[in-house]
Parts: sequence; C-alpha cells; structure tokens
Amino acid sequence: MGLFELFRRPKSGEAARTNVAAIGLFDDQFQRKLEMLALVSRRVFAGRQRAERRSKKQGSGIEFADHREYTVGDDFRTVDWNAYRRFGRLLVRLYEEEEDLSIYLLVDCSSSMGFRDERKFDQARRLCAALAYVGLANLDRVTIVGVSDEIKSTLPTTRGKGRILQVFRFLSQLQPSGVTDLEACLTKFVAQHKRRGLAVLISDLYDPAGFERGINVLRFNKFEPYVLHLVDPRDAVSDLRGDVRIYDCETGEERDVTITDGLLRKVAEAVTHYQSAIERFCASRTVPYFAANIDVPFDELVLRVFRRGGFLR
Amino acid sequence: MFLAGLPLTTLLLVGGGVALATVVLYILKLRRRPVAVPFASLWERVLKDREASTLFSQLKRWLSLLLQLAMLAALVLALGDPRPEASALAARNLVVLLDSSASMAATDVDKNRLALAKKKLLELISGLKSEDRMLLAKLDANVRALSPLTSETGVLRQAVERVRWTDTALDLQQGLTFARDVLRGLPNAEVIVISDGAFVAPAPLREPLGAKLSFVGVGKESDNLAITELSARRYPLDKSRYEVLLALENTGKKAALVELSLFGDGQVIDVSQLRVEPGERVPRFYTDLAGASQQLEARIRVLEGKDYLPNDNRAFARMPERRRAKILVVTTGNTYLEAALLLDEYLDVTQVEPSAYPPKGSFDVTILDGVAPPVALSTGARLYLNPPATGSPLKRGPKLEDFGFDTWDRKSPVLRFMDLLDVQVAIGYAFKPEPGDLVLGASELGPILVSGTRARQLFLALGFDPRDSDLVLRVAWPLLILNAINTFVEQDAEYQSAYRTGDTWRLRVPAGLETADLRRPDGSRESIPVREARAEHFGEYAGFYQLSWVGAQAPFSFAANLQDSAESRIGPQSELVVAGAKAQTVSGFESGLRQRYWGYLLIAVALVSTLEWFTYHRRLTV
Repeated sequence: MGLFELFRRPKSGEAARTNVAAIGLFDDQFQRKLEMLALVSRRVFAGRQRAERRSKKQGSGIEFADHREYTVGDDFRTVDWNAYRRFGRLLVRLYEEEEDLSIYLLVDCSSSMGFRDERKFDQARRLCAALAYVGLANLDRVTIVGVSDEIKSTLPTTRGKGRILQVFRFLSQLQPSGVTDLEACLTKFVAQHKRRGLAVLISDLYDPAGFERGINVLRFNKFEPYVLHLVDPRDAVSDLRGDVRIYDCETGEERDVTITDGLLRKVAEAVTHYQSAIERFCASRTVPYFAANIDVPFDELVLRVFRRGGFLR
Repeated sequence: MFLAGLPLTTLLLVGGGVALATVVLYILKLRRRPVAVPFASLWERVLKDREASTLFSQLKRWLSLLLQLAMLAALVLALGDPRPEASALAARNLVVLLDSSASMAATDVDKNRLALAKKKLLELISGLKSEDRMLLAKLDANVRALSPLTSETGVLRQAVERVRWTDTALDLQQGLTFARDVLRGLPNAEVIVISDGAFVAPAPLREPLGAKLSFVGVGKESDNLAITELSARRYPLDKSRYEVLLALENTGKKAALVELSLFGDGQVIDVSQLRVEPGERVPRFYTDLAGASQQLEARIRVLEGKDYLPNDNRAFARMPERRRAKILVVTTGNTYLEAALLLDEYLDVTQVEPSAYPPKGSFDVTILDGVAPPVALSTGARLYLNPPATGSPLKRGPKLEDFGFDTWDRKSPVLRFMDLLDVQVAIGYAFKPEPGDLVLGASELGPILVSGTRARQLFLALGFDPRDSDLVLRVAWPLLILNAINTFVEQDAEYQSAYRTGDTWRLRVPAGLETADLRRPDGSRESIPVREARAEHFGEYAGFYQLSWVGAQAPFSFAANLQDSAESRIGPQSELVVAGAKAQTVSGFESGLRQRYWGYLLIAVALVSTLEWFTYHRRLTV
C-alpha cells in the first residue's frame, strides 16, 4: 500500500481498512506527535543554539569564530586592524561558515529487525520518521538509506517540512530481509555520499561480522556517526523448553540445543553483555550512543535522544 | 519365590519386546522442533561455555531411559504375580456359602454382620491364586448361586456387592448339599461358610461332603429381643371385634425392659412395657379389640438392655376380611333357623320356598331345610338339615328314635365352643358316609353329622330335623349354624393372618392366569408365576404384600413375618460343626503382588511415563 492511500480520504469503508499496518505506523496521531516533537526540540535547545544547525567549517559567515596569522594572499578585508593596533601583529578574522547540515538516517532493514512480529522494525521506522521530521523542520538536508548487507533503498536528499509525506512513503515501502553486513553496506554508502554529515545508524547491531566495523567505516570517512541501538527485551526470552534446533533468522545457521531455564539466563546475560560492549565501544570513540528499548513509546524515545544530545547542536 | 501369574518365558518375551521398543524409540534420532532466534551468535557464545555440561545432559537422557526400563521391569514382574514359595498351593475349587439370613443384619459389628462378612469375603477374593476358581452363593432359607465357578475376581467382587440379607432363617444343609453337588469330582475342593453360626445345627448329609469345610465366623454379641409370634382373628359372633396373640422372646443373656406397641391400620392400639428375663418367652393376649379393619403391626423398643437385631422387632398381621356372606335358605319356614341367622349382622340372607329354587344370583352357603334339590351352580357350600333320601349327598341309614350325640369331633371348627352331650332327638336317620367324608358327630347307632365334598363343593349334613330335638333350645344351635357358615366361608378365603418368610407361598388367584403382580413391602414389584390357580413366590422379606392380577377388582393383601425364634438367637458361634466334624479355618489366601494393586500402580506409572514421553517429544509440553 502506498503512502498516498494513508492520507487520501477513503472512498469507502473497505478502502479505510486497507493496509492497517501502514496506517498504524504513520497515522494522524503519529503526525501530531511529530509536530509536538519539533516544537519540543526547539524549546530544549533554545538559548544555546539557533534553530538551524551549522557546520564547524570556517568561512565567510557573519559569526566570528577565531583569529589566525595573516599569510600572503589573504583578503585584506579580513585583517583585524584593531588587533593589529593592540598587539602589533597581523591577524585575520575567521568566521563560521553557515551551510546546510546533511543528516543521513541509516535504517537497518535486515531480517533480524523484522524478527517475530516486526515491532523492532516498526519502531525503527517511527524513530527514523521522527528524526527526519525534526531535521526537515530545521531545514537540514535529510537522506534516508535502508541498509542490510547492501543498500536496499535510498530516499534522495530532501529538505523542508513539506517533504515528510515523501519520507513516510519511503519508510512504508521498506521491508526487513537479508543479512546484516554493516561494513560492506556502509562502505558503499560513504562512497556514494561525498557530502559528510550526521549519520544516524538505527539498528539492532546484530552483525555477525561485528558491529564495530560498520561504525568505524563512518568514523574513518569523516561522518559523524550517531548510534541508535534498538533493543528488544524478548530476544533473550523463549517459551519453549527441551530439545530444539535453533537457527539464525538471517543466516539460517542451525544449532541443536536443549533449552533450559539456566540456558535462557545465560543468553539473557549474553545479550546484556553485547549491549554493554556496544556502549563501551561508542563511549571510547566519542560516538553518541543511545539504546532504544522498543517497549518505550517512540515519542518518549525521541525526546530522550534530544536530551542526550548529539543530534541537535 | 515362584510366579503365580504369567510364566517366566512369557514374561521374558513380553518384557524383552517392550524394552526393545522403548530403547529403539529413545535411540532414534527424533526430529527437533526448529526455533528461530534473531542473532545465533549470542547463543553460540553461551553454548560454547556449556559444552562441558552436554555430557550431563546426555546422561540425564540415558537416566530417563533407565528409569523407563526399571518401571517396565517392575510392571512385567507384577504381571508374573510373584509370591513366596510358602504360599504355593495347587489350584483350588472353592464354593463360598455367604450367610444372608436375618441374623446377619445384627449390628453388633462395624456396620452389620453381613457387611463384615462381605469384607472378609473380599479379602479372600483378593488372596485367590490366579488358577483358583470360586463360586459364590448366598445362603438363607434358600441357596442361590451369584457367580459361576470362575477365577475372575472382578465377577466375584460384583457378585459380593449384590448380596442382601433376607428375613429368613438359614438352611445350612441345603447349602452344603448344593456345594457338594457343585464340587463333585473336582480336585482340591473346598467349601467355605461365612456366617455368624446362629442357626440350627444341620442334619447329617445323605452323602459325605467330599470337600474341605472351612468356616469364617462373624459377630460378637447375642443380646436380642424378638417378636416371635403375632396372629389375630375375629370373633365368630362379632366380626367387628377381634383378639390378638403376640409373643416376645429374649434370646440374649441379659434382662431387658421393652416397650411393646400394637398398631391397627397405623393407629396405636396399645402400648405397654414388659420386663423380659434372659431366655424368657412372654405371650401376650389382646382380647376384645376393635378399630382395626385391615392391618396389625407390633413393634418393640428396648428401653433397658441391648437389642442388636432390628429385623425381628416388628411383626405384621392381616385381619380376616369382613365381607358379608351371602346365605340362601331354602325352607318352607323355620323360625329357629331364621333366629339363628339373625345373630350375625354380616350375613346377607335370602330365603326362598323350595319351589323357587334356584333363585337368581350367587351365594356362599345354601341351607337346605328338609329338602335336597339338584345342585345348582353358584349356590356355594351346602348345609343340609334332615335331608330327604332323594337328592341327599349321603345315603340314609337306619331310622333312629330317642337318640343323641354320643361322640363328636371337639376339634372341628364346626363344633367349637359347643357341648352336645345332653342333646335329645326324637327322630332322625343315620347316614352312610362315603370314603373321604368326615363324621363330625354320631350316636351309638350311626353318624348323624357328616361333612364332605360333592361336586367340588363342601357340604355338612345333619341327620334330623332340629325342631324334633331340644337342640334348637340350646346355645349350641346358633353356634352350629354360624360355625358351619364361618367354616365354609373361611375355608373359601383360606384366611391366614401372616405368612412365614423362608417358605414358598402359594396364593389363590383365578384360574387361567399365567402371572400375577406382587408388590413387596419396600414398594418394588415383581411378576410371579401362576401354576394351577396358585401364584407362587418364595417369601424373603417381612411386611405387607399386595398381589394383583388382570381383572382383579382390588389387590389381595397379606402379611409375612420372620417369626423364627431360632433365627432370633443371634449368639455367634466361633466354630462350625457338621455331622460331628469341625470345620477348619481358612488358609492359603495370602495376597500376592497383583492383589495388592502393585500391578495397577505400575500400569499407572507406565501410562504417565508414556504420556510424558509422548508430550515431550511431540513438542506438546516443550
């Protein structure tokens, strides 16, 4: 079902019943929450920053940034003559160059995101939509990329709040499938997108090759990675006991195992340990990290992201 | 130790086969249920740590198999019914005679004696060896087999449940005869009598029992008070009144104070208290009673002392029916006869001239005064007064003058309450009785009062005209007339105040019937056979019965009583002696493994284990 159908007036009751999942994902209530989040995001950062995000790039803006020694070839108009009078040195005034920020929202579309009942994937899409809306509202350049072991789909760079419907349509068409290979996928991503910016990785980080590699690809290519880790508490829970054959929902790898309460406790500990490892990795590399429990409503999660910082400056 | 159940080879085959199947099922690689996980690497890390514990997991699996095999072995062993070598006996053929007579209702033990006897019998059944065969028969006044000679304990247990006590005395001789006939020619025969021993010692059997006789006794106490007799009759000259004879007996060893109540048609007639000494029999007469018209019931309640048998605390009697007897008098006129008939208000008298005989209608008795017309239908019994030679049922003998009654049958109901010694007769004739006729009175010159039967009708003939004697001036005259009428009518009704239980009752019903409907005291009904116009039923319970049949205007009611002082002597016997031989105690009934429900428990364990296995491996519970 296309996103258009979500917003057009239904002709009949039958039409209204179509694609209940998509309607539930981005319904009117969801959009009202997005408006609220946009307003709240402005209040949260008011007084500290202007609404628009600026790059660290120094250039010809109007906001003074710093001085540096004059070198041959510099524009004389930038020489700070007052400083020369006081210090007897030729110093050039530097200004922050204002430019549009590029926000890349990388949504994990691997099979593990759709495991069990796709709640994790739905939550990822809601978070992505919310962050995109806030970014669009701040007149940033927003790009959404669906990733798994390859780039599955890309929403071309867009800006302006009015493009949110395009975002919804794009997200609704995403389907969880394939295995997770963040390194390979993000390598392609950085190759395709020369304009650096904020790269928000929305994923459960269940990468058999290791979550570190994907994040490092972003780091090493001058992107500003932001890790939004989706956590489903049920991943370590099973109603079954006894002899079973477990298989990975992405790779299909099988393993005979006897499930006991003790084993499930160990698995739960392993999941916690895995999450801690991600958090430690990001902290040690000053990568903003946020663990998003999918049981928490998405609007509350978005607010937590804002309060945590790193997304808006 | 030996196996009383399945033989060893069968056990090995069965056990080996089932064990093999169990092992194969365990060893077979079972299809594991696939379960998806979001990130198998996490599980892999955990499972690496648990590799060391896999051995224990497999051990548990083998432990489960060993447990199954152990349960299987126990089950197979139970099928073998292992028993100690000491209990090894050859297969026996057993007849159990379970006393169900009235004394078994005594409440001196547990619930009652019969319940205890049944409990002991069930224990014997539990101890039966698989090859043993047993026949169960209930024994009271009659013997009745409740099961075939079988080794099926279930059949025997069901038979035990069906046993109920009856209000009858025990006839052990009949039971032993039955057992002897059943066991004739069978090896290791044994007769087991389970009884309280409260019965009359049986007479020796015509043939030897030919089997081991064992005795299982029940009961502890002997204190009992019983109504051993109850009968009632109406007065001949006033049938609205009646008299009752009742007897109490203390068959125990202690004196008792008893409250005796007499009820007529459900209403209290008399209540009195009596002290009855041990072994004493107290007769009690109630004379000149009135009020009750149908049913009498006597009850006793012990105020001081013990009374363990409730069955004989009640007795029942049925009053004679008070219907109007229809009398036809054929006479040219006889004032004395008419006066005599006026004494009984329950007589419906029709008087006709000899020329008008026979009138319309049916009659119970016809009095022929000086005439002897041909016998007409529906005119009942006949009383001839000075019958003429022609038509008389008796031939005339010599003519008599100035004679009287020199002898008369004082026990005859016709002549009761009479003294005929001084009766003077002027003229008359002697009779010549025929074989079968009964001479009730005679002068020294010949019979002058004869009764008999002609054409299936009773008759009574007097050989003189009463007006030619002073008999009509005596009290004996109306008594003779009314006694004769009562005798005729009562004989017709076959009145009996109460039947006795333990006998076969033969109750008159109209000819041509095949069955009649009997309603028992407890309200249950039974269709009983009719043979030669007699409904036959073996009476087992005391109380009031009703017999009805097709076309009956009203049911025929009658009463039945135990009234057996021997059966009321409930003192138990610890041993049984038959024809001088003492019965032995039972032996060889030690319960084996099967009888102790081990087998059933093991089967239950196996079922549970199978269920667990099935649900576990079919992923129903995991």
